[in-house]
Amino acid sequence: MLKEKIENLLPLVKSPSRYIGGELNSVVKDKSKIDVRFAFCFPDSYDVGMSHLGMKILYFLKNKRDNFWCERVFAPWLDFEELMRKNNIPLYALESLDPVKEFDFIGFTIQYELCYTNILNMIDLAGLPVKSKDRTDDMPIVVAGGPCVCNPEPLADFIDLFILGEGEEVNLELMDLYAHMKKQRCSKKEFLEAAAEIEGIYVPSFYDVSYNEDGTIQSVTPNNSHASETVRKRIIKDLDSVFYPEDFVVPYCEIVHDRAVVEVLRGCIRGCRFCQAGFIYRPFREKSSDTICRQTRSLCESTGYEEVSLSSLSTSDLTDIEETLTRLSEYTAEEKINLSLPSMRIDRFSRELMEELSRIRRSGLTFAPEAGTQRLRDVINKNITEEEIMRACKIAFEGGYTAVKLYFMLGLPTETDEDIIGIAKLAEKIADLYYNNPGRQKGKHLQISISCATFVPKPFTPFEFEPQATGEEIRRKQKLLLDSIHSRKRVTVSWHNYKVSILEAVLARGDRRLCDAVYEAWKEGCKFDSWDECYDYDKWAEVFERLGTDLSFYAHRARSYDEIAPWQHLDYFVSRDFLVRENKKAHEAGTTPDCRTKCAGCGLSKAMGGACFGKN
Amino acid sequence: MEKINLRAVFEKSGRAVFISHLDLLRTMQRAIKRSKIPVWYSQGFNPHIYLNFPLALSLGVTSRTEFMDFSVTENVDYDRIRDMLNEKMPEGLRIISVAEPVHPNKDIVFAEYIIRFRSEAGTEKMREELEKMMALPVIEIDKRSKSKGTVKLDVKPHFDIIKAEAEGDALTVFIRLPAGLKLNINSNVFVDTFSAVSGIQFSNIYAERTKILLSDGENFV
Repeated sequence: MLKEKIENLLPLVKSPSRYIGGELNSVVKDKSKIDVRFAFCFPDSYDVGMSHLGMKILYFLKNKRDNFWCERVFAPWLDFEELMRKNNIPLYALESLDPVKEFDFIGFTIQYELCYTNILNMIDLAGLPVKSKDRTDDMPIVVAGGPCVCNPEPLADFIDLFILGEGEEVNLELMDLYAHMKKQRCSKKEFLEAAAEIEGIYVPSFYDVSYNEDGTIQSVTPNNSHASETVRKRIIKDLDSVFYPEDFVVPYCEIVHDRAVVEVLRGCIRGCRFCQAGFIYRPFREKSSDTICRQTRSLCESTGYEEVSLSSLSTSDLTDIEETLTRLSEYTAEEKINLSLPSMRIDRFSRELMEELSRIRRSGLTFAPEAGTQRLRDVINKNITEEEIMRACKIAFEGGYTAVKLYFMLGLPTETDEDIIGIAKLAEKIADLYYNNPGRQKGKHLQISISCATFVPKPFTPFEFEPQATGEEIRRKQKLLLDSIHSRKRVTVSWHNYKVSILEAVLARGDRRLCDAVYEAWKEGCKFDSWDECYDYDKWAEVFERLGTDLSFYAHRARSYDEIAPWQHLDYFVSRDFLVRENKKAHEAGTTPDCRTKCAGCGLSKAMGGACFGKN
Repeated sequence: MEKINLRAVFEKSGRAVFISHLDLLRTMQRAIKRSKIPVWYSQGFNPHIYLNFPLALSLGVTSRTEFMDFSVTENVDYDRIRDMLNEKMPEGLRIISVAEPVHPNKDIVFAEYIIRFRSEAGTEKMREELEKMMALPVIEIDKRSKSKGTVKLDVKPHFDIIKAEAEGDALTVFIRLPAGLKLNINSNVFVDTFSAVSGIQFSNIYAERTKILLSDGENFV
């Protein structure tokens, strides 16, 4: 029994309730009655992983089936990992406290590139070889899904199969197949071959990649008759009727998003050209007001949470947003529950919306103009004007808001110094607007915080061809921005570490030759790369240097339209032609209207059987 | 709005012993919200469920005598409130009873614990070392205090050992320690001090709080 061993160590670690399970609504089953056991791993700490909506959905979806048992696994924090290794405690699942090595599946959800080393570390901590080819028939099948698997090539050596697209149907199909083949005592290879025939399943070992002399890809070809030329992602057609959990597991310790979450829509109509989520989660589908209200009520009652948030890529694009909010806020006000909308667009912000939001509590407002000038906002197709930004801020200030947070990106394609100075000018204009507002409370100062990320070109976006700005350029741009802000008292500026963004850029558009670098970096002790206190860029740089891998080849090189991308054999329904069209338009600062206004012909409507929206 | 103050006695055991004091507050607030008892919310701009724990319990310690104060807005049968809460409690937390509070928090002066030690050194050696330690004239430790930083404290007079029993491979110590506002010494202090003075590495320690007491030795209720 691992339980006693674990319990003895828990008094020695930070936040021990993360490691022992037993939380409200966690699902415990009798394992003698189970056909398939699935260890759902989030390759980051409990506090981050437990906040992730996709995991909650798939956890309860799988557990609804009597013959499946899905359990949760997170990366132990450094202090506990050390104790686990010292005391021979393998990676275990929180519900049964059984080692994940005994499971049928180990499944990772991959939400960001900087968790890749954690995946290797968790497989190793489980007591398994990290490379797929070294894992034998008696070991669990290691699978992975999530947004990053739209280009999973830098993980191709470690994961047996990838699940592309939305998981609600394909996960069950995969587990049913496994249950069936397990009874027939099939080999791992036989299972992978059968799995490869399921739409949305990509088995990387069934493909050979060859390279040109200049290092670009020459071809990707299947080497197994069960593997098809291209693998298509899965889409749930009807979001309104798809499974959604009535319970969440309620943690004891505080987690990053400690609240009930109701997913209100999937996909995004906007087509911002830098945004990977805006393309890989297409098409746009939404839930009805009835469904949203029912799911909110059920989740709040089963969890006791004091906050519920309506989640999506762009919640204000919900067709019935105002009606839905009015109905919801009647319930939440009565129950003293705080209603939050994390993803609001500036151009959809109205006085009515603000009043609904502030009925219970009021916090600061956050908007994302992303770029400082209209020209650059047109390049990225943000489709927000300065007038709209000022109008939204004016409403907010009149409503009593005194803090505004603005998100921007540095290093966007075609960016000039004028665009960077534009960020500072915009902030100052907003500050002037506040101080010229006659209705403002005397003595209350405005806080404007500008948060700048570094642009990372991502696959399946019109910017997948673009070079990332070099570290040197970013440093210069950051300094220019600071120098352009005249009132540091009113405006504060913060950035993401650009050295993190460089690694993101390398891994996001990397090919399978990067598997060696990921492996070596992990061997050198890299883990929790998304945590400032753990990230060690120099270690990564050393590994790249040693292996003779050129970072710039992946991050800073402009790619031609006819270059074969490492993810070319994966089909997310967004056509290459469309991305090229959008890229060309971006360079002319031309905009594309949102999908609801006019279909841009990205390729998704085919998947939806004609049109994403009623008529267009 | 009517406000009736209540005090619940509850058990914290099993996996729940790893819930920290701060997390316990949140956990209880959510359980109360789920239970739908007519709980009283603090008045004001940001209403929340008001809870008070008269005496914190250290992480890892089991107890069947924990207290939690809260208020309700209407008179509901105490056993009914207990049952409604228990229906929504997570594993390891259980309400034993609900009643009107009798004593103010500041009246808490002592707490009693059962602490079970296991070690490769064996029970005889552990008992010997315990006797040796308790024969010392002074046992000085560094105690952290909120206001004064770390201060030296002689804990010898505060270790009131009721009895020590060898049982199989374990030594079980029954001990009374100061608790409450004036001086609080939790069971971990005794465990750490015993380990430091004797040099024994304990492999497995079980600690349980059994009583919370007033200055006259009567139960806090």
